[in-house]
Amino acid sequence: MIEAKQLKKSFAKPGSSKKHEMVLAVRDVSFSAADGQVTGLLGPNGAGKSTTLRMLATLVKPDDGSAHIDGFDVSGDVLSVRQQLGFMPHNAGIYPRLTAHENISYYAKLCGLSRNESNKRVDELIEQLTMQSFANRRAAGFSQGQRTKVALARALVHRPQTLMLDEPTNGLDVMATRGLRDIIRELAKQGHCVLFSSHIMQEVSALCDHIAIISDGHIAIADSLEGIKHQTGEDDLEDAFVRAIGETP
Amino acid sequence: MRFLVVMFKEILDNLRDQQTVFYALLFGPVLIPLIIGGSIIVSLKQLSIDFDEVTTLAVENAESAPNLMEFLYSNNIDVESAPDDPISAVRAGDIPLVLKIMPGFAEALRAGKPAPLTLFENEGDKKSTKQARKITALLQSYGRTINALRSQHRGIDSNVFESLEINREDVSRDGAGGQLLASLLPFLLIVSMVMGGFYLAVDTTAGERERQSLEPLLSLPVKRRELVLGKFGATLCFVTLSCILTSISIFIMFRFFPIELLGGGLNFDAATLFKAFLVASPLIAFISAVLITVSAFTRSSKEAQTYLGILMVIPMAPFFILQFVNIRNVLHSMPIPMLSQYQLLEKIVIGDIIPPLYVALSVTGTLICTVILLALAIRLYTRDRILM
Repeated sequence: MIEAKQLKKSFAKPGSSKKHEMVLAVRDVSFSAADGQVTGLLGPNGAGKSTTLRMLATLVKPDDGSAHIDGFDVSGDVLSVRQQLGFMPHNAGIYPRLTAHENISYYAKLCGLSRNESNKRVDELIEQLTMQSFANRRAAGFSQGQRTKVALARALVHRPQTLMLDEPTNGLDVMATRGLRDIIRELAKQGHCVLFSSHIMQEVSALCDHIAIISDGHIAIADSLEGIKHQTGEDDLEDAFVRAIGETP
Repeated sequence: MRFLVVMFKEILDNLRDQQTVFYALLFGPVLIPLIIGGSIIVSLKQLSIDFDEVTTLAVENAESAPNLMEFLYSNNIDVESAPDDPISAVRAGDIPLVLKIMPGFAEALRAGKPAPLTLFENEGDKKSTKQARKITALLQSYGRTINALRSQHRGIDSNVFESLEINREDVSRDGAGGQLLASLLPFLLIVSMVMGGFYLAVDTTAGERERQSLEPLLSLPVKRRELVLGKFGATLCFVTLSCILTSISIFIMFRFFPIELLGGGLNFDAATLFKAFLVASPLIAFISAVLITVSAFTRSSKEAQTYLGILMVIPMAPFFILQFVNIRNVLHSMPIPMLSQYQLLEKIVIGDIIPPLYVALSVTGTLICTVILLALAIRLYTRDRILM
């Protein structure tokens, strides 16, 4: 369960010669994502999706506003938040010199699992995500799909209640994307709260029960797919999206 | 204890990286001592003259100076006949020196006049100049004997011609070469420590940011302190290993190069190296902390390598400073990391007694700096900026 209220974040402009020139990345983000559902955070590039997810993952502190993951405050009880949360950033970020198995079991041990528990859990994930064929190979030569699977397994290793995936289907081929969708649906069915960010319309409409459209640092509209179509008076999500972010389709 | 998980992962990960392993286990501990230490020892050996060593000298027209030949022979010089063209032979390096007894040598000697000799040497050839110095010294000694005989013959005390009596006495324990060799030990140890941890530190901090594996790592339920300590621990292991290997290779190197002829007093035996390792060991922690902290500041491994490349000068700085500056009050420099270890290690090699207070100050100063640096690194990891 994710609840975000009026999150705000600005950064020092990178590469700026002026010292305190700030960029407002997120100005006002409020939305919620329920357990047992897939929630989509949909927005164009640079809208503030990644910054929002980073705030929810306790990686950066919000300047203003608040957010709770399963009741824990992201600005206060960070270790409890992280215990509840599995986060997969938009680059897999796995270690190329370690095998898939070692990559996952490193995270398992870091999350406090004993050697036995960790081995059991890693084997379980390898089976669940059908990674048997490359589990003991070093990650350096993995395809994007294989890397995404390893990263997803890592995010799931401590059995988090809430899962956040930042553009997980980037660079995946059709079959890998379909496979990932099935896994995400299955996780939601098991009662997890899944938050999924994307800039791809079809992706979101095919998968999400609830959609929050983010544009220029604020949530333009947040509702079910039907609700969004109804509110915007558009029949197609793409048109609805364009209208929601303030353009005319 | 999760920092142990991080530590073991980083060690395993970096043992699979050929660059890290090369610099930590081969470049610092073996190649640098061989290149720098070896060349210094060889050049010192070339500079020092061994009068007991039997050498051969090519002499042209030897038969006109039988007494001189006898003198040379009794001073460990074997005389052989010179080639036809002595100048080109010496220039080509076929033989190091040719001594030519000039025509009129015997007559001049008999008449009590300066007897002409020519020594062909090659200034561009170290072996030739070294032998020329040896032969010149012998010839001067022969000349003094003849002077004495000539003056005696004329009823004059030969001391009349000696207007000054210059006594030079080297009171240092070890001589110039010894000082250089003594500072070689701390230099090699510190350089190898830095080389040993360099790539691992860059890989585990700046490299992790670059590979974008830092973001998921920081979102785990682990304290940042544990992550930093784990990376520090892994660097520490590599630096320690590098330092031990360097001690061993220095030990082996000095087995092959006898240092007695450099004026003795220097010690490179196992006990000395062990003591040196113990005194230098706080530096292992300090250098690891410097490497981790500096690379935590940087955004990419390239940037980290640039900064650390500049920092590489620091371990060499005391080496050069101490060559030029004599620090009189050693007590003041003892709490300074690197500088104090340099001075202590030099003393150990020379065989000086080290007051326990010096060691205590050195250890305390170095460890305090290490803790400050680590606290800084942990602070860097808790800022938002670490991900930017």
